[in-house]
Amino acid sequence: MTTPAQLWQFLLSGLTTGSIYALIAIGFSVIHNATGIVNFAQGEFVMLGAMTMITFSRDLGLPMPAAFAASVLAVAAIGIGLERGPLRNARSRVVLILVMITVGASIFIRGVSMIIWGKMPLSLPPFSGDTPISFLSAAVMPQSLWIFGITLCAVIILHYFFKHTMLGKAMRAVAANRRAARLSGISVDRIVFFSFALSSALGGMAGIIITPITTMSYDAGVMLGLKGFSAAVLGGYGSMAGAIIGGLTLGVLETAGAGLLSSHYKDAIAFLVLLFVLFFRPAGFFGMTKVQRL
Amino acid sequence: MKRLNRIMLFVAMSAVLGLSGPAGAAEPIKLGAFFDLSGPAAAIGTPTKLVAQMVVDQINKAGGINGRPLKLIIGDTEGNPTKAVMVAKKLIEVDKVVALIGPTRTGTGMAVKMKLLQKARVPTFMTVGGDPVIMEGKHGGKNFGSAKWVFKSPQRSSVAVKKILGFMEKRGIKRIAIATCADGFGRDGKRWLAKLAPKFGIEVVAEESFQPTDKDMTAQLAKIKATGPQAIVCWTIGPAGAIFAKNVKQLGITIPLYQCHGLPDPKYIELAGAASEGNIMPSTKLMAADQLPDSDPQKAVIRKFIHLYNDVYHYNRQFPINTHSGYAWDAIYMVANAMKKAGTDPAKLRDAIEQTKDYVGVSGIYTLSPKDHNGLGTDSMVIVQIRGGKWKLLE
Repeated sequence: MTTPAQLWQFLLSGLTTGSIYALIAIGFSVIHNATGIVNFAQGEFVMLGAMTMITFSRDLGLPMPAAFAASVLAVAAIGIGLERGPLRNARSRVVLILVMITVGASIFIRGVSMIIWGKMPLSLPPFSGDTPISFLSAAVMPQSLWIFGITLCAVIILHYFFKHTMLGKAMRAVAANRRAARLSGISVDRIVFFSFALSSALGGMAGIIITPITTMSYDAGVMLGLKGFSAAVLGGYGSMAGAIIGGLTLGVLETAGAGLLSSHYKDAIAFLVLLFVLFFRPAGFFGMTKVQRL
Repeated sequence: MKRLNRIMLFVAMSAVLGLSGPAGAAEPIKLGAFFDLSGPAAAIGTPTKLVAQMVVDQINKAGGINGRPLKLIIGDTEGNPTKAVMVAKKLIEVDKVVALIGPTRTGTGMAVKMKLLQKARVPTFMTVGGDPVIMEGKHGGKNFGSAKWVFKSPQRSSVAVKKILGFMEKRGIKRIAIATCADGFGRDGKRWLAKLAPKFGIEVVAEESFQPTDKDMTAQLAKIKATGPQAIVCWTIGPAGAIFAKNVKQLGITIPLYQCHGLPDPKYIELAGAASEGNIMPSTKLMAADQLPDSDPQKAVIRKFIHLYNDVYHYNRQFPINTHSGYAWDAIYMVANAMKKAGTDPAKLRDAIEQTKDYVGVSGIYTLSPKDHNGLGTDSMVIVQIRGGKWKLLE
């Protein structure tokens, strides 16, 4: 029998997983808005965040906050490298080819990470202990609260950034209409540069905060990227609110599917709902259907 | 003139080298070894490969197979069944290996068995956990084909299940919940747990499953908790097992958690941290080598193995010894022993492997037969518990 306490536990667990998906989904959206491409290396940024954090904090002995900042910067640098290197210098500007380059980059990053960090799964100590907190009869790990909190902060800062800063507004302008933005004096080049920095930093941060719960291995980015991508599609690809709602919905659907129906068909249930939503709203919850006229 | 001399010298030297090459050593016997060197089970496949190299090195130092050295030809399955079949095919057809060692996982092992070893006549000693690779005929509507050419060195899942259930019976446990991974290995565990539990007077009150890549199993555990079992059995390898243990602790579940025979590994303690404390699992004797009585017939070979692994080859720096470490050692030694008796003819070699009797290995004392291509019983396993981050021998 499902009790209200159980339901509450399912909801909280789902929201934890969901906020991870949401963070990754935002990364997808930021790059999509600036460049129109899907960055399939997004999951690898998540993995890289965790791995560099492990190097900085465990191997080099930096204190947690310093290691956190250093790792996020390192992953941002790698993201910029991806944009400045292969993507910018590609001979073709066709979107599909650029997307394929990101797929190649993800395979490359995975291979190099396997050599650097080995094949064994790694973990990070939780930020503040691992004594579960009882919250209205549901148990939550302190790390889950960190995940909620950091995701919430990131969302608030991003909201402020996009609505109230010059750079943020410029990024939105480029997303809305690239040519018009360029004509009004916005350097699209610079915007693309910042988008990659922002999106890889977000991915890296997601990796760092989830690893104490999930562990990380060189190939874990694939599945995380896929789930984040699904969340972005569900919410409406390119929409910030959509990424958040999509991520949380996907997370809750998964745990509710496992808890209420059957854990054997957990992923199938989540993806079935995804298909169902896209059938009736092809653009996702918050996506705008672009009307094209000939 | 000087230049001419040099050329002459070069020609003379290359002639000497050219002649001494094939004449100096007997023609090596090729042994194919294919493991998950990348992909999800790379952390198991890579040390297996290292141990395989160590064993071949040891055999060759001791004079090889009747004077002929063994040569290991290595392939990577990438954890992908299709790729595993391709690699095995290449080893058989291009490299013309005499026998195969590997692969690493039940899924890849089954692909190689069903797509290749129904026809190809190459003795294959697998290091996979699941039983389907050595099961034959139809079971529950599923065809397992012929296992004539397939052997496996890790204990059968059914043996590990019997070991756990037998231990639970002694502890008076009557109601258990099981949570199994939705991959080949997990399904195999689930099949045996459900089938064998009633024979030990144990009722399975909840059956849950999860994906190997899942990051949260609290939903499954909340359901399990509500059914009021006396113990939980989790059946998976890799990080999912550690996440499961953490979730058990998170929900404040205090009944004992039993893990499968795939997890006795220092890595598990590292990943699960404090949540691993008190976990009980069946294991090979390797994990409790220092606690074995001197009368144990395997003690000498286990000591030798640990000495070579840690002190001579230093594999422990990257991959500390775990319960799987000895499987490649046993597989290759059994194939090598059979080769010494029967030579390299595939059919004769296969028969000789099947007649292996009382081989004292790292993972158990093997006695194979046409009906049993594994040759290990519950006496080859011990029950260990994690106490204070160390492996404590319970039984």
